[in-house]
Amino acid sequence: MNNAMCFAQSTLQHNENPMDIGISALFATGVASKGNSTIANLQGGGHDPSKIGFTLQNLELTFGGAVDPFFDAQTNIIMLLNDEGEAILEIEEAYLLTKQLPAGLQIKAGQFYTEFGRQNKLHPHSWAFVDQPIVLSRLLGGDGLRSQGARVSWLSPLPWYSEMFFGVQNAKGATGNSFLSAGHGHDDHADEEHEEESSEYSINGAEDFLYSARWLNGLDINDNVSANIGFSAVWGPNANGVEAEKELRTAIYGADFYLKWQAATSSRGYPFVSWHTEYLFRHYEEIEEDVFTRKDSGWFSQFSYGFKPGWIAGLRLEMADSNEEDEHAINGDERFRTALNLTWLPTEFSKIRLQYNYDHAHHIGEDVHLLWLQFEYNLGSHAAHVF
Amino acid sequence: MKKILFLLALTLVSASAWAKVNVITTTSDLAALVTEIGANKVSVTSLTKGTRDPHYAQAKPSMIRKVFRADLLVVIGAEMEVGWLPALMRSSRNSKVSPGNVGYLDVSEFIELKGKTSARVTRDMGDVHAAGNPHYWLDPANGILMAKAITERLSQLDAGNAPFYQNNFDTFKAKLEQKIIQWKSDLQGFNGKKIIAYHTSLLYLADAFNFDVRGYVEPKPGLSPSASHLNQLIKTIKSENIRYLLMEPFYETRSAQLLKRKSGINYIVIPQSVGAKPNIHTYFDLFDGIVSALKAVEK
Repeated sequence: MNNAMCFAQSTLQHNENPMDIGISALFATGVASKGNSTIANLQGGGHDPSKIGFTLQNLELTFGGAVDPFFDAQTNIIMLLNDEGEAILEIEEAYLLTKQLPAGLQIKAGQFYTEFGRQNKLHPHSWAFVDQPIVLSRLLGGDGLRSQGARVSWLSPLPWYSEMFFGVQNAKGATGNSFLSAGHGHDDHADEEHEEESSEYSINGAEDFLYSARWLNGLDINDNVSANIGFSAVWGPNANGVEAEKELRTAIYGADFYLKWQAATSSRGYPFVSWHTEYLFRHYEEIEEDVFTRKDSGWFSQFSYGFKPGWIAGLRLEMADSNEEDEHAINGDERFRTALNLTWLPTEFSKIRLQYNYDHAHHIGEDVHLLWLQFEYNLGSHAAHVF
Repeated sequence: MKKILFLLALTLVSASAWAKVNVITTTSDLAALVTEIGANKVSVTSLTKGTRDPHYAQAKPSMIRKVFRADLLVVIGAEMEVGWLPALMRSSRNSKVSPGNVGYLDVSEFIELKGKTSARVTRDMGDVHAAGNPHYWLDPANGILMAKAITERLSQLDAGNAPFYQNNFDTFKAKLEQKIIQWKSDLQGFNGKKIIAYHTSLLYLADAFNFDVRGYVEPKPGLSPSASHLNQLIKTIKSENIRYLLMEPFYETRSAQLLKRKSGINYIVIPQSVGAKPNIHTYFDLFDGIVSALKAVEK
């Protein structure tokens, strides 16, 4: 998304050091038409700015490179500051990737983002907007769906790009929102009860893991237009049945579509237009007297227009809803949000973004307006250009 | 049984003898050179188009599939593809064409790069490559070195056709040497002339034809021109009486138009790569195109 510039790295890094090292820092500041207690519920992502004033969204240390002729590896460690100003450390990703498997196979093992849709895998500094889409915060979790495990992918011999991914990951852990950890927030005390429930869940066998499947296709429509079409699913147990000693399950399905046009004679990757849309729905078993299935769904559709080198205008539309009977539930109410933004990238290593959100949440009952200013710097290794 | 095995072996051997070497290049210029040497014994595809700046390419899914199926991957190197090739290679999972293997050819290793520095390079300087300036294909003399590296690597991968590749190289080299003499004589009027370039990418071209580059439209490599920098440039153009500004087709022309209006300088859009203009299909066409663009404005 963020375009593509190529700058120098020190020779030391390239010729002598077996590892690329980088730091990416992402800050935001904002004002809103409502107070902090309201905003905190609207900005559901773990890295979203969620208060009036300044927020360190993401301070990420990246280490990556070739381990040996057989494996590549990548490690991303994230630091955040909570409301009290205390530092919180997360292992965002840490995985090995095979290089020599035959027949188009590749295995990734470690802690990593589940292959589900396009947005889930993107780190916050690669997002086209300041905040995470609502439906992803609700269904995949504020930090994105990621866990420890392994996945195999197969690059098919079909005459277009077609890759399939199958993954097995722990369903337990702080980032499995729809699964054995309900609601992970960095300073969200309301979740402690759920975390306890999760810890009581005992892992007995194969049915207690999180399974994912994804089919991703890529097509070049012509020299200037390319598209990605993907279908994803993830299945696993959830923690809702722990007290009742019942095993309840979750299934999430998604479809994603991405289209990008780049001018035939483009400078630094501009001008370009991209369109990214995802739709997700979830079957989430809960229990009161009887087991019932809560059904949630939502979509987002975002446009980016890189109109001159270093300048991108964005528009995002999104909706989320569920069959939750309590319409005042923070994470189950009907929700509509529009975001408009303007991003300036002086070089690939810095970014300034202004974003306006118009947010309509049923549980609040009135429109909320938010204005964010985001800024970013990158030191060290060259981040990959994202298609 | 033995007969069947023999026939099977024969089929396999002949199939491999007839199979074309599948070459993927990062740029159209490399693809043009591979075509000169490999001709009908190779199939070649460039990952990027000559109309765009190869620095800023992105790893599109279709590229993953191409690299996955490649026998030989030819790259410019010198950090030209640093923004997209590493990620592409990881996704492509083709160890045959990974660095250190015979299927990976970094052509910059065979070239004396300009602008190499042992001084500390920081991003304060903009787009400066400590490893050297990677736009070396714009010196036609380097075309011979590039073609030689390709010839040697193809001969190593496909030993049966080595004499064929060598023969094509000899023909290519003889023709290019002739053409270089002709291009230099065509551009005699530009010899020693002061010019302005848009970006540092024209360093090799300037040195090959002895242009005296007095300034750049970009204040620092890779940065968009600022008003104050353009004003300074206008003063330089006037005081040094510089008549030509050379730039690639993918850069914005507003700055060049402003400079022209304020100082009278001619701006010349030159093709920087094979495929930059529809009629440029070969490495020879590229310099023919550059020469004719320059000749057209020569007064």
